[in-house]
Amino acid sequence: MAIIIEQGLAAPGSDSTLRGMFEDRKSVFVDLLKWDLPVLDGRVELDSFDDEHATYVIIAGQGGEHLGSARLLPTTRPHILGNLFPSLCAQKPPTGRNIVEITRFCLSRRQSSAERLHIRNQLVSALAWHALEAGIRTYTGVAEIAWLQQILAFGWNCRPLGLPARFDCGVLGALAIEIASDTPRLLAKNGIWELRSEPLVRIAEAA
Amino acid sequence: MPREGPKQHERTRSLRCAWNALPLRCAQPRVEKFSRVEAFVNDVRRTSTEEDLKEALAAVTADLGFRYFALTHHVDVRASGNAIRLHNYPDGWAEWFDEQGLGAHDPVHRASNLTSVGFAWSSLEQMLVLTRRDRQVLDAARKEGIGDGFTVPAHVPGEAHGSCSFARASGETLGPDHLAPLQLVGALAFEAARRMKRERFSSAPVRLTDRQRDCVMLAARGKSDWEIARILGVSEATVGEHLRHAYERYGVGKRTLVAVHALFDGTIGFFDVLSP
Repeated sequence: MAIIIEQGLAAPGSDSTLRGMFEDRKSVFVDLLKWDLPVLDGRVELDSFDDEHATYVIIAGQGGEHLGSARLLPTTRPHILGNLFPSLCAQKPPTGRNIVEITRFCLSRRQSSAERLHIRNQLVSALAWHALEAGIRTYTGVAEIAWLQQILAFGWNCRPLGLPARFDCGVLGALAIEIASDTPRLLAKNGIWELRSEPLVRIAEAA
Repeated sequence: MPREGPKQHERTRSLRCAWNALPLRCAQPRVEKFSRVEAFVNDVRRTSTEEDLKEALAAVTADLGFRYFALTHHVDVRASGNAIRLHNYPDGWAEWFDEQGLGAHDPVHRASNLTSVGFAWSSLEQMLVLTRRDRQVLDAARKEGIGDGFTVPAHVPGEAHGSCSFARASGETLGPDHLAPLQLVGALAFEAARRMKRERFSSAPVRLTDRQRDCVMLAARGKSDWEIARILGVSEATVGEHLRHAYERYGVGKRTLVAVHALFDGTIGFFDVLSP
């Protein structure tokens, strides 16, 4: 398996891993979770936040197939918590250069439950690795409440930013995860830390 | 899980109703209630013993207007010694509950295994078909002074299901603005208890090899050793060997039990078994 950090404009047509990611996002968020999201060509889920400011952390299989991914958005620009769900924060949504929002945490539905847990662990580990490399101190995110128990159980330093509330897509809550040098150790204590290879960082050329 | 039959719709509707009443805007009481949740976050960060956690949980339960809390693994079929259980229910109630062996049958626990969002006990009727014994349990709880309640399910993949429940004194009802802070407190408390348990019992969860897992998954689908051998392209004896090792790891001696254990702790998923 390979870990890819993709920065810059990631067009779905540019390679098979990215195409797979946008297709799996449609399968997970639109088909399975029934979120009301734009779908292109009936096949890929892509929205206005998928632009040159987004970063993607991707777990890919031997042949480059997409297994899992997350999209990172800078909080200094429009992002999900700040622009769509500010009411989930008791105070102003946290923003700053060292604060990055995790969105579209997606695991391919083609894998079995046991394989998905491995991929999830690698994705969480890669997110922590990337934060430490890139100087990200805090991840924020909006999570469906079912996810909250799992995110807490990863063992990293995680706190709620406000009370959860009901929306059309489910009961949602806002979270902040503090990343520091001890994060890999905290994840390892829970059996989550799985970083089998050095992530490959790809920065797309500006078109 | 997507294959729950016709009841799924009813459940979803009843849960939506409970949460529908939630205000979406940050009204003043919401801010105050969240401050209390934040204080609890800081409390549990400092706690290292179950006693401390119990105290912190009792305090936040009372401050949010509730009388009782019960944080529990619904059952730990492998080793009951390391299951989590913290509560402040009346003594007589806990004893009666244990005497009846209700850990796995409690209607609140059963309902909690069906959902990932907190639910009011008043919606149990829509979530489950309540048996005569279930109604007896609910009546007995009321007689003990346990009133209206709210349960936050705690599902961590690969581990036993659990929950954190909050109950008011009898005669007091549950309001819609109770749900959001309790949902967070329940989730945070369960994770704190889980962390303590992990530090106290270093016992690793049962792990099967990939091949053992494949065999157990196919056995759970109702396949015979011969069929599994054909599907995996190995001999029938090898399948028998894999399954025997899986029995040993779970400490059970029956095909159905090993499948139930593996489903219960998340080694295999219901979806793996039920999808064609």
